[in-house]
Amino acid sequence: MTLWPRSIAGRTFLVLLVGLFAVQVIALTIHALDRVEMQRAQQAREAIGRAAALWRAVLMADPGRRDAIARGFDLAEGMVASVDPRPLAPDHGLLAEPMGDRLAQGLARIGGPPHMRPREVLVGGEPRRLVTVSLRLPDGPWLNITARPPTPRPWSSPGFLAALALMTAAVAGLSFWAVRRTTRPIRDLAAAAERLGRDVNAPRLPETGPAEVAQAAAAFNTMADRISRFVADRTTMLAAIGHDLRTPITRLRLRAEFVEDEATRAKILADLDEMERMVAGTLAFARDEAAAEPMGRVDLAALLRTIADEANDVAGEEVVSVVAPDHLVVEARPVALKRALANLVGNAVAYAGGCVVRLSGPDRGLVSITVEDEGPGIPEAESERVFQPFHRLEPSRSRETGGTGLGLPIARTILRGHGGDLAIRNRSPKGLVATATLPA
Amino acid sequence: MAEPAPHLLVVDDDREIRDLLARFLEKHGFRVTAARDGRELRRLWPGSRFALAVLDLMLPGEDGLSLLRFIREEGRTPVVMLTAMGEETDRIVGLELGADDYVAKPFNPRELLARIRAVLRRVEAAAGQAEPRAATFRFAGWTLETARRRLVSPAGVEVPLTGGEYELLAVLAERAGRVLTREMLMDLLHGRAAGPFDRAIDVAVSRVRRKLDDDGKNPTLIKTVRGGGYVLAAEVERS
Repeated sequence: MTLWPRSIAGRTFLVLLVGLFAVQVIALTIHALDRVEMQRAQQAREAIGRAAALWRAVLMADPGRRDAIARGFDLAEGMVASVDPRPLAPDHGLLAEPMGDRLAQGLARIGGPPHMRPREVLVGGEPRRLVTVSLRLPDGPWLNITARPPTPRPWSSPGFLAALALMTAAVAGLSFWAVRRTTRPIRDLAAAAERLGRDVNAPRLPETGPAEVAQAAAAFNTMADRISRFVADRTTMLAAIGHDLRTPITRLRLRAEFVEDEATRAKILADLDEMERMVAGTLAFARDEAAAEPMGRVDLAALLRTIADEANDVAGEEVVSVVAPDHLVVEARPVALKRALANLVGNAVAYAGGCVVRLSGPDRGLVSITVEDEGPGIPEAESERVFQPFHRLEPSRSRETGGTGLGLPIARTILRGHGGDLAIRNRSPKGLVATATLPA
Repeated sequence: MAEPAPHLLVVDDDREIRDLLARFLEKHGFRVTAARDGRELRRLWPGSRFALAVLDLMLPGEDGLSLLRFIREEGRTPVVMLTAMGEETDRIVGLELGADDYVAKPFNPRELLARIRAVLRRVEAAAGQAEPRAATFRFAGWTLETARRRLVSPAGVEVPLTGGEYELLAVLAERAGRVLTREMLMDLLHGRAAGPFDRAIDVAVSRVRRKLDDDGKNPTLIKTVRGGGYVLAAEVERS
């Protein structure tokens, strides 16, 4: 069934085309058969007319010249006549029922006024293929007329093939157009669903067109509105929580400054730092700040070096190295992109103590950034789950390193917002590699 | 500490934060007056000469940006803004309106303290002649926007800088044509003296040179001056 197309448009088109072609062939055949019938009737009329004229001419003519007249007479195609002493009709087998054939019947009735009628009429032959009529002249000899009607050739009409081709082409063109038109709403719906997956505020579908299409579009729009309201509610709630936590965290930070015990104060401040990171992460994730920042041309190579330098400054030694061309310019939202890539580098430094950042491309319209570390890696089953907000591997270890469970989801959201993507997988023999792609 | 303690004005609508911040800053050698909103600020302003104002941008009634405009109309008193995390626009508008620095809430008190000290030091060093407010510097096709803390190349491409690189370039651009010794740079950037083996400045300079496509062996933009200093040698246009 490899010829069976996969798309509705293709299938409908094929069914229509085959069906209409068959209908056309049948219609043309019926038409052709009609033509055959007409051709026969006309041939018969003509043959009968000529034969009658010949009969009269032979009847009037001098007996010695009869045969010459008969042989030279202008008859219809496929007819031969002669005047002989004996009838030729019985040679072909006499017709039991001469009236069954139009030609035989007509020839048998040649005559006219009673004094011109043949003395005797014999009809022989096979219907439709050959008819021989022997008419006895008043003085004895026979006028034999043999007619072989030409085989009708209904398909030989020069217009036939052209007509078939033209009609088939017209049908194909029209059904192609109609099918495309009818299935377009389905394609639009699929495209809209795809857009909605990327951006809940993507433009809604126009609720126009045939009733079913408009209804489907309306249902889709209602669903999109519900999803977008749900996302907005969630975002507002997260943002409100994050916002409201800022004041108490600020107060606690100030209070901690008055704690006399050095060790206790350090611990309180560390806890507050972690809380702040979580609040900042939640706010960033909830607001999708990235979307608000304008796109601009950014030197990605310089951006990666900056991230590496900052990580190295914090660590006090070279933990992050960069392998990149001198410059590589991309269209991006600089602050958001820096946050996404800094999250990847930050993870590698936290879990593996360092990493190598490589920038390559553009290759087939994409530049890729890999962050390779030699840390413990992650269980294979976790490689997608780590992109879920607040998901953490081994809570105990994460808490130690201060993760919020938002770094990777934020990074992926930002990269996808740029038209790129982010994936992570284990390296062999050990370590992890995060691969970010961006349109060049 | 023979000099009188600098007098700071803290404007924040949260009473606890206001009081705690006042105590914290007093503990670190400042004299502090606190105001809860725009009305109190306008009432306190005429009688006193504050060395610096710490201004929360989110205030009930008259908002922080409008108060910032008021302070700028009154004079050159430096302002450190307290902005909400993520409110980039407020921060940028604030810097463009002439605020000297900002910290995002929830802020680290020590960071705020460091910023206050740095701003006071800068104002003192400038002694009223330079305008430390947000500016755009243009040199050799490059653009350094201080409000957005970003560097744009002659081709219109944004070249990201670390915090340290940005500060260094801003300091050099503000004082273009003047030779700054390592000690001066150390003091301007970090508020401390450079040790004899301190390489921090040299590392930062080499990184900035690389980002500016300035050949380290034969630099044309940031030149090394014999005897230990650096100068931004390009023509700088300030706007």
